[in-house]
Amino acid sequence: MMVFEAWQARMLSVGTAHPPKKYSQQDLLDLYQVTNKRIIALFRNTHIKSRYLYLPPCNSEGQVPDETNVELLAKHKQGALDLGVEAIDRALAPLGIRPSAIDYLVCVTSTGTLCPGLSALYIKHLGFRENTRRLDVVGMGCNAGLNALQNVADFCFAHPGRLALLVCAEICSGAYVFDMTMRTAVVNSLFGDGVAALVVGAGPELAQYEGPAILDFESHIIPDAIAAMRFDLEGPKFSFFLDRDIPYVLGNHVEKPVNRLLARAGLKRRDIQKWIIHSGGRKVIDTMKYNLGITNYDVRHTLRVLQDFGNLSSGSFLFSYQLLLEEGSTRSGEYGVMITMGPGSTIETCLIRF
Amino acid sequence: MRPFRTLIVDEREEIATITLHEPGGNGEIDLAALEDLETLMVWLEDESSCSLVVFCGTAGVFCPGLNPAAFGPGTTDSIHTHNRWEKALVALERLPKVTLAAIDGVCVGAGVQLALACDHRIATTSTSMQLPEVKHGYLPGMALFRLAKYVGLGVAKRLVLSGVPWSATDALGWGLVDWVCEPDLLASTLEQVAEQILPVNGDTVRLARRLLNESFAEPIEDVLGSLLAAQHRCISRMNVDRASEGA
Repeated sequence: MMVFEAWQARMLSVGTAHPPKKYSQQDLLDLYQVTNKRIIALFRNTHIKSRYLYLPPCNSEGQVPDETNVELLAKHKQGALDLGVEAIDRALAPLGIRPSAIDYLVCVTSTGTLCPGLSALYIKHLGFRENTRRLDVVGMGCNAGLNALQNVADFCFAHPGRLALLVCAEICSGAYVFDMTMRTAVVNSLFGDGVAALVVGAGPELAQYEGPAILDFESHIIPDAIAAMRFDLEGPKFSFFLDRDIPYVLGNHVEKPVNRLLARAGLKRRDIQKWIIHSGGRKVIDTMKYNLGITNYDVRHTLRVLQDFGNLSSGSFLFSYQLLLEEGSTRSGEYGVMITMGPGSTIETCLIRF
Repeated sequence: MRPFRTLIVDEREEIATITLHEPGGNGEIDLAALEDLETLMVWLEDESSCSLVVFCGTAGVFCPGLNPAAFGPGTTDSIHTHNRWEKALVALERLPKVTLAAIDGVCVGAGVQLALACDHRIATTSTSMQLPEVKHGYLPGMALFRLAKYVGLGVAKRLVLSGVPWSATDALGWGLVDWVCEPDLLASTLEQVAEQILPVNGDTVRLARRLLNESFAEPIEDVLGSLLAAQHRCISRMNVDRASEGA
C-alpha cells in the first residue's frame, strides 16, 4: 500500500529506558555461583558484554536467592511501570507533548501476565486521558513490537492528526528460571530488561514533527516451527525454551517476507540503506546477514544492542532504531527495513522511508 | 541490453565479456564510465543470466586510471564520486557470478583497483601494472584493503608507497594474478580458464567469496557463526535440489 506521504503513519519520536544496574556476563556467573563449564562457556560466547537487569540482593552466602513466581510477577509489574514511565517521558518530551495528548496506547509484553494490563497501569500513573483507546498485546514474544506497530499504523492512517503510543515493556528478569540446566542457561545468558516507547501519527496536522514514514508490512509464519520458541509451565514458573536450530530456520525463511515486501514497493535489496533488525542473538544475526546478503555494517546497531543490553525481546528493534537516529546517518528518501523474529515461529517485516 | 556509452557488453551463453572502452578512447574512468559501470552492475545482478563476467581492455590498454577531472582535486563533489566508484566495485564483489579481469597492457590505478575486485586475473606478458596514487598524493581506494590480502603486507607496502610498476610475472609470483600468457594467446587462455570455472553455482560462489574476503579481517571465533550461517544456507539448498531431483 503506497499512499500520499502526508497521510502515511510516521514514527515521530522514540524513548527507551533500562534498569539502573548493569551486569557483565561474568558478574552473573559469579552471582549465581555457576560452576558448570558448559554454562560458563555459553555465557561467554554470546557477544553480550553487559545487560541491565532487576536482580534481588544477594543472600548471606553472596548468592542471588531463588525468586518465587509471585516475586517474579511483582518484579515484572514494578519494572514495567518504572521503566515505562521513563521511556514514555523520553518519547513524549522531544515533541513537547504530555500523556494527555495520546489518543491510542498499545502496550506489548511477554514477561508477565497482568490483569488489568500495562495500559491501565500507565494510564493511572501517568495521567493519560480517561478516553484513551488502548490495547494490550501479551505473550506474542520478540516479534510483537512489529505486530503491534501494524495495528498502530492502521489506527493512525484511519485517524489522521491523532497520536498513538506504542510501548514495548519487557522485564525479562521477571521471567528468569535459574535451575542450572542448559535449557534455562540459554535464556538466562541472553535476555535483558528494557522498555521502548514510540510515538506514531499520520496526517498533515502533524507535519511539524519529523520521522520516517511507515510504508508497508509483510508477515511470515512457519507453522512447522511452532514449538521452536515457547513458554512452558515448569512447576509454578513459566520457563522459556529456545530451540538450538531456530536461528537457521529463521535464516532459511527470512528472504520470503523481505522479497514480498520489497517487490510490492518495486524495490531491490540494494535500495535498502538501513536495516533495523531484532537483536535475537549472535547466531540469528549471522543467519540474517548471510541469507539477506547484508553486512556487519548493516547490522551494527543490532549487534550493539545485543552487546550492551542483550535481547530485549519486543523492544529490541526500537533500541536499534534509536541508535540509528543518534548516529545521525539517515538521509531524506532513504529506505529502511525493520525485521523482528519470534515464537510462531514468525518473521515480521516493515518498510520505512526516511 | 541497456545503452552503454563507454562499455561494450557481449553476452554469449554463460559468459559476459565487458570491454572497458573502445579503441581510440583513452580508457580512463570518467563520470560517463562510472555511470556505465553502475548500470552494468545492476544489469548483471537483475537481468544477465551469465555465470562468468570477463573484463578486458582494447589496443594494449586495460585501464589507465581514474579521470582526474572527475575524481581529482578541484571537483567539489569528488569524494562522492570516489564513494560511487567504491560502491560499484563492492557491487561487483557481491555478484552471484565469477568475475575475471583479462589484462593486456596498461593497467594502472583504477585498472588495478577493478582487477582486484574481480575473483581472478589473467595478465599477458606485455602487461604493466601500477598503483601510482600515493606518489600523486591520494589513495588507491579500497585496493589498499584488497591488495595486501593477495600479496602480503610487505609487497603491498612497497608497491603502494613507492608507486613502482610491476610485471605480469612479478604479479604471478605474488599470487596477484592467476595466469600469465603471451598477448596472442589471451583468447585461448581465457577459453581454458572459463572451462575450469564453469559451471558456476552463483549463490555458493557469493557466500564462499564473502567468507574468503572476511578470512583475513576477523578473528576465527568471531566468524565461525558466519561460516555456519552460510554453510546452512548451502546445505538447505542442496537438500531442496536433491529432493526435486528425486521427485
